[in-house]
Amino acid sequence: MSVKKLTLADRIYMIINYTILILFCISTLYPFIYILVLSFNDGYDAMKGGIYLWPREFTLRNYEKAFQHPLITSSFLISVSRTLLVTVLSVLLTAMLAYGLARKGLPGRKYIVFFFFFTTLFSGGLIPTYVLYRQLGLMNSYWVLIIPSLYSFFNAVIVRTYFTGIPDSLSESARIDGASENTIFWRIMLPLSMPVLATIALFVGVGCWNDWFTGEFFIQDQNLIPASTLLRKLIAEATFESSTTSDSGSQILQVNIELERIRQTGITPESLRMSFLVIIVTPIIFIYPFLQRYFVQGVMLGSLKE
Amino acid sequence: MMGKVKNNVSGVAESPPVAARNRKKAIQRIWYFRHVYLFILPAIIWYLIFAYYPMYGVLLAFKDFKYNLGILGSPWAGLKYFKAFLADSSFYETIRNTLSISVLKLLFGFPAPIVLALMLNEVVHTKFKRVVQTISYLPHFVSWVVVVTLLQKILSPNAGFVNDLRMQLGMEPIFFMGMPSLFYPLVVISDIWKGVGWGSIIYLAALTNIDPTLYEAAEIDGAGRWSKIFKITLPCLAPTIGILLILSLSGILNAGFDQIYLMQTPSTLHVSEILDTYVLKKGIRQGQFSYATAIGLFKSVISMILIVTVNNISRKYTEISLW
Repeated sequence: MSVKKLTLADRIYMIINYTILILFCISTLYPFIYILVLSFNDGYDAMKGGIYLWPREFTLRNYEKAFQHPLITSSFLISVSRTLLVTVLSVLLTAMLAYGLARKGLPGRKYIVFFFFFTTLFSGGLIPTYVLYRQLGLMNSYWVLIIPSLYSFFNAVIVRTYFTGIPDSLSESARIDGASENTIFWRIMLPLSMPVLATIALFVGVGCWNDWFTGEFFIQDQNLIPASTLLRKLIAEATFESSTTSDSGSQILQVNIELERIRQTGITPESLRMSFLVIIVTPIIFIYPFLQRYFVQGVMLGSLKE
Repeated sequence: MMGKVKNNVSGVAESPPVAARNRKKAIQRIWYFRHVYLFILPAIIWYLIFAYYPMYGVLLAFKDFKYNLGILGSPWAGLKYFKAFLADSSFYETIRNTLSISVLKLLFGFPAPIVLALMLNEVVHTKFKRVVQTISYLPHFVSWVVVVTLLQKILSPNAGFVNDLRMQLGMEPIFFMGMPSLFYPLVVISDIWKGVGWGSIIYLAALTNIDPTLYEAAEIDGAGRWSKIFKITLPCLAPTIGILLILSLSGILNAGFDQIYLMQTPSTLHVSEILDTYVLKKGIRQGQFSYATAIGLFKSVISMILIVTVNNISRKYTEISLW
């Protein structure tokens, strides 16, 4: 930092800059705070509106209800197990691929890289993929949540770039001592690459946790859908509620009965959704800040050219 | 075989034996690297199944696909489905919507991370800078499902944040998500909200690589804050901006499937249906596999041509390119 004195113009500029950045942070955080507050408020009371920063009628019932809901609990089991399994497998497989692609002097490496690179330029598209899953029997199976998510060429490029930054002398001297490729991979490359592996583990894990598409279109069994898909289904219901105005007498009657039930329990579909959303977002909020240093580096590695 | 070659040709110098020796050497080298190939093998198999087989599956677009007959067994349909969508008026509406959304995102969403990075770069308190950065990355890590839920709740006609304030001011609640005129603004704003922090990472990295003596020299020459930004910072960011612009331009037919699909309501369909959502509805919902594949193939081919062309033009004139 320079030691020169700040002029008045500098000060004004700084104040404006900091103010805008603070407003930016508030606009980023507030939607989450709003939902958090609503999730801790009585659902019936929340329908009256006017809750912005603090719950008016504090309750934990939305969360109790969410954790008792059979679909919500099963969807979390699916999401957690899927995320763990895919992250571990994908990091390992991606590192193996990257190790191969980073190996100097490998005959045909150019063609192999192109084989993978081409898939980022052209893809068969949704429908052929859909047909493929049906032919493989992946439809409506737990494995459709696992196998198609195992590789990403982008991640492999990041790891490969990192590997090529590790001095050759390390693996060369091990090779002279008679170490096999396997030993070099496990004993030298992997332990030296923990930051980049943490980065792609974060990318893969978050991607998996957030993926709603697979569950929505490739799975029909309600007990197999992951949490993101379930949240999506609950919102779709909500949009339907607010976009259709109920005119017929029977529907209004039903709404009244529903209201009575809501008043007694204090839980609305809306308040349940809010608590569900908070539960889904919480793991992410607690993980990504700790990996910040690594993923910032990862993004930079991914942007390096050959 | 080698011996035979030796006997036959003496006039062509020693090239055949050399070639044979080279081939033998190549095979030896491949054999030497056999374990390395094993590391790549699982990926090759996976990509053959999950990337290359669907490419072969685009044949669907030229067939009258019947499930029981399979892709190869189904009867050929020629260009029937391509002609069909070219004659379909909703196809043009879809293209128009896709391009409108992409162009709007490019106009407003592309500069946003650059501006944020420049602003962060001016911050002298490192701790403050770090906190702002950490907060700015948050929306990138949550899914579009979550973002759209937040948006719907804040704009909800039933005690949502905005309508809540409107009602306290004595105004009527509005169903914002159902208004076609607000669809594009909401798409662009939520897209920036989600991506601006993440997008700024790469620019911030590029900013730290700028030689500080450039600024010092400029200060001696009496350059002000803005002239430093326009004369030094932005030119130094140009390569990064160029690369990202190539990527954005070639993705112009991707208006953002997740976001658009989740934000659509029945009343905004005429402005919100994009190619990807159209393919999904035609194909998976209505079961018109061949028709939907034809549109998907159309999109893939155009996108590929775009990225190759934009990249080559850029490489020729600006030396900025992806490969």
